[in-house]
Amino acid sequence: MTVTAADQKIAARARPHRRSFLRGVTTLFRRAPFSAFWGVVVVLIIAMAVAAPIVEPYPPLKADFRAMGKPPSEKHWFGTDQVGRDTLSRVIHGSRYSLVVAIGAVLFGTTLGALWGLACGYFGGRFDMVSQRIIEFLQSFPDLILAMAIAMALGGGIGTVIVAIAITRIPFGGRVIRSVVLSLKEMQYVEAARGLGASHLRLMFRHILPQCVAPYMILATTHLGVAIVIEASLGFLGVGIPPPTPTWGNMLSDALNAGLVPPWWLVLFPGLAITITVLAVNLLGDGIRDLLDPRLRGSV
Amino acid sequence: MYSYIARRMAFGAITVVGVSIMVFVIMRILPGDPLVAIFGPEGFTKLTEEQRAGYMRELGLSDPLWVQYFAWVKSIAAGDWGHSFFRSESVADMILRRGPLTAEIAILSVVLSWIVGIPVALISALKPNTLGDSVARFISILFIAVPGFWVGMLIVLGLLFWFGYRAPLAGASLFADPLANFQLVIGPAVVLGLGQAAYIARMGRSSLLEVIREDYVRTARAKGLNNRLVIAMHALPNALLPVITLSGVLLGLVLAGSIPVERAFGTPGLGFAMFTAVSERDVFVMQNLVFLYATVFVMINIGVDVAIALLDPRIRYR
Repeated sequence: MTVTAADQKIAARARPHRRSFLRGVTTLFRRAPFSAFWGVVVVLIIAMAVAAPIVEPYPPLKADFRAMGKPPSEKHWFGTDQVGRDTLSRVIHGSRYSLVVAIGAVLFGTTLGALWGLACGYFGGRFDMVSQRIIEFLQSFPDLILAMAIAMALGGGIGTVIVAIAITRIPFGGRVIRSVVLSLKEMQYVEAARGLGASHLRLMFRHILPQCVAPYMILATTHLGVAIVIEASLGFLGVGIPPPTPTWGNMLSDALNAGLVPPWWLVLFPGLAITITVLAVNLLGDGIRDLLDPRLRGSV
Repeated sequence: MYSYIARRMAFGAITVVGVSIMVFVIMRILPGDPLVAIFGPEGFTKLTEEQRAGYMRELGLSDPLWVQYFAWVKSIAAGDWGHSFFRSESVADMILRRGPLTAEIAILSVVLSWIVGIPVALISALKPNTLGDSVARFISILFIAVPGFWVGMLIVLGLLFWFGYRAPLAGASLFADPLANFQLVIGPAVVLGLGQAAYIARMGRSSLLEVIREDYVRTARAKGLNNRLVIAMHALPNALLPVITLSGVLLGLVLAGSIPVERAFGTPGLGFAMFTAVSERDVFVMQNLVFLYATVFVMINIGVDVAIALLDPRIRYR
């Protein structure tokens, strides 16, 4: 697969961006209030995940045999499942796994890919050629299928799910950062540093890497949403974090196993949680991307 | 042109070989002990030492890895796709029986995605930053965020609840029973098609906006052509090139996406077989199906590249 137009666009921007975090946030609110609103939603979801044991009205794993398969009521806002576990508590608790897996996988996968791309772009030659072939092989699998195969081979657990999703993220980081580095490498300031006798490592990490931060951020935020959906799909297909852990994917899978006609509240709420989270993350990502690179507005 | 196709095919062949090695590494080397994967940790401890050795020999797992790899490639090339541990039907028969259903879903969803996505892209791009554009963009972002399998579950529930309708559960071929076949295929195709339409609308919009600014479009306007013709005859054909590429990539994603969606609808296609293989930890069936999906994905990519080369002389003569 060749470098796409979007990659080139991300690669084309390679100007320094030094902005304090706080100033970034205020700029986001001023320039893109819509994205900033969804940023607030993301913060709320993270807060909910962190405070899950305090916020959830019931323990997520506690079965209540007096309230089995009850529709939403005042006592159980989102109803209960077939063994009487409170759906609201499970949805709240599920946000923890969703976020940990998605953030872990993106950090791990994109970072690994970015470093690989840095090495490929910087050294070029035979190393680059072989690496590009391997990345091409990795990209010949649809994401979900590769993640399914790896998660199945490694066996269930939160760590394996993170690794499985992370591996599917490596090619993206590799390709984008490589093309950024290819254009950076020829810049005069790098030439100057090389002329002063800087080592390869110093050139790579001190001079080139800082310029890759903005495209890296753009990549990471765009892939967070994808990672959340893959995690939910893995759970739904039974190769995610094993039950009874209340991940959103597991809950949807349980609903389907509950009987021929799954109760609507068991289907509606976990899916709504996935949708809102992915939507918020994607829209915040769009805002961050517009902020870091106005030229990319509306594309990718 | 022919040399381009030949080169692309050669690269494709190398990729398929690489993919086969990767599938083999993932499915055979990673799991540690395949017997644990087959029998489960509890079943594994119940086996005696001789039984373990017997099974390993029977499955060809005690050979060196490269012998196993070549044996696997040879059997696949000969059309022997192995047997499931849990069913009598051979994997090859299962693919032939279930594959067409998934292929129909994939193709129908691509057609739907174009029918929905391109008009939305046109509406957005011709009047950018208006209310219609904003609404269209938000809806497409929403459809990218919604997991398809969840929408599928909601549709199944809704149809059952309000109309008491449920799609037939048994497989039906397109030619033997078109009506039952259509009922099986339409649900997953709509769900997957709308998901792709969102991407197509986004890509189509930005690509059209770029093309409309080009000199030749201005020239066409300047010579007095009416706006509709300028868009339809001059701008759209060029703007669609990246959309075709994207559509190819999306077709691959649909193959994967159809696995959870088919589970949600209970469609007896290949995706459902994949789900069954995964939930039964059926390593060998999984290995062959993953290889099949990846190979199909590679072939789709070659097809798209060749199509783009046919449509775009700039690539052909490079």
